[in-house]
Amino acid sequence: MLTLLKLELEKLFRAKSFYLSFAVLIGFVALMLWGFYTYAARKTGGQAVEQFKYTYESKQYFNGLTFALYSVLFSFTLLLPIFVSMSAGSQIAGEARAGTLRMICTRPISRTSLVLTKFLVTALHAGLLLAFFIGLNLVVGLIFVGWGNLELYPGPLNLVDAPGKIMRDDALLRFGYAALSGTWALLVIAALALLCSVIFDSPVQATIMTIAAYLTLYIVGRVEFFEHLRPYFFTTDMDFWRVVFKPDIPWQSLWHSACVCGAYTIGLLLASVVIFERKDIVT
Amino acid sequence: MWVKLILLLLFCLMIAGAVHFAQPRESDGPTSATRDVNSVRLLTWNIGYAELEDDTRAHNKDLPAVADVILREDPDAVALQELTGKDQLNTLLGLLKAKYRGAVAQQGRTDRFEAVLVKDSGATFTPVAAGARYALAASFRPRSDTPQITLLSAHADAFNAAARRTYTEGLIDWAQTRTRSSEVFIAGDFNFELKAANETNLYTDNVKHDSESYSHILRSFRDLGRNAGDTAINDRRIDYVFGPARPVGRVEVLRNAAVGRMDHWPLFVEVSF
Repeated sequence: MLTLLKLELEKLFRAKSFYLSFAVLIGFVALMLWGFYTYAARKTGGQAVEQFKYTYESKQYFNGLTFALYSVLFSFTLLLPIFVSMSAGSQIAGEARAGTLRMICTRPISRTSLVLTKFLVTALHAGLLLAFFIGLNLVVGLIFVGWGNLELYPGPLNLVDAPGKIMRDDALLRFGYAALSGTWALLVIAALALLCSVIFDSPVQATIMTIAAYLTLYIVGRVEFFEHLRPYFFTTDMDFWRVVFKPDIPWQSLWHSACVCGAYTIGLLLASVVIFERKDIVT
Repeated sequence: MWVKLILLLLFCLMIAGAVHFAQPRESDGPTSATRDVNSVRLLTWNIGYAELEDDTRAHNKDLPAVADVILREDPDAVALQELTGKDQLNTLLGLLKAKYRGAVAQQGRTDRFEAVLVKDSGATFTPVAAGARYALAASFRPRSDTPQITLLSAHADAFNAAARRTYTEGLIDWAQTRTRSSEVFIAGDFNFELKAANETNLYTDNVKHDSESYSHILRSFRDLGRNAGDTAINDRRIDYVFGPARPVGRVEVLRNAAVGRMDHWPLFVEVSF
């Protein structure tokens, strides 16, 4: 199993798509920095100050931690799931498309070990992506925007229902929590993409099916017609990762959603194992 | 085989964990039904209709039902929104069997009026200009041993978040000049679109304006009806009672009170001194 893991890690680190995902995230942070800078400049002077007498959007509000929070929250919903889907979707189907799956399966390793190893590698990729993204945002925020406390207001980020504040050191710890909770949430996507990768022989098809299922549930979950179905969508529980940024973390609700996400992940992984064991590999 | 069994066990553990950590359903019932003698009981209600109707202001045929609710709940003061004018107020005061006095706000750019009804016969009414609209304030004493209360009936723009913000700033500026001489409450339909629980919208100027407005109010006042739930159809909590940091008794959205095509429910708040 360890040799298999080593081989799979080698494959991951040699893949161009692995580095592409980090490059795109760097591009996104640069874009966010430009947007944040110009927005902060507009909102802390000139017309904005003349139009309204009172605002929380001051120089103290626009700091590196606020920048990192906005950047992570904006990207998590759509950007990161795409890279995780790509990584997981290509794990089995990619081998099938390359014609190496049959050869791998003739080696003295169980198919279960193969699926689990590929899932572990994908999980590592998801964790690295999120940790890198959060770290990069904090470093960029520190260098280009400056430090301060994390001020939260009801509305824009939908995190709190009353104004609140997290002190700087505590806020940094919360970003650490977010790396863990976010990775755990992304594992649902990874497990779904791995299942698609087992079912379909094309990595593109597996990735697109995963993203389509994710986006469908994400969008449908936000349409009021389907309000009663919302609690049954995995996308609803995946959102739990962000509650670590509430001034008082609702631990009970966090553990509940984390367990639901865990159930989805393990359930999908189990289905992948069962299907792959019975699969007739003809490619 | 053992790997699958471990996965199955983990799956069951996760399900058990999810059940164990599930939040108990919040009770929809009132927080307290007892009446504190040293308290003030306030009710705010937008009695207008939903947007799809030809005339979205209050309808005369609903006034007996509105009066029934007020008489049954027996608040010391009532903030009403979307009345058609003074005639409608007089009809309502008649239905309330002369238990309340009232006034409507000055007409702004809209075709609807805010009103305040107060039990105290010595109450005084003051028009409050805020942005392009008018609110109405009533100053009164519910009982001789309670401090003077000022209740503002407010109705912010339904379609323009920037206008809501300007209006809110004006109201709070006015209210802060009164907080030394009386206990100030601001009640009404603010139309703030703030829902942290179920949505993950990204970032819009409208949401930000509402966020700024709401946060600005909370710098000086408490949102007394925060835990009472939605006050309008489509799961919206847009009717508020803001007031000083005093112990709160019964807080309830009266969900069976709406009649006809009303799209709001009254919010009842009891505050002790």
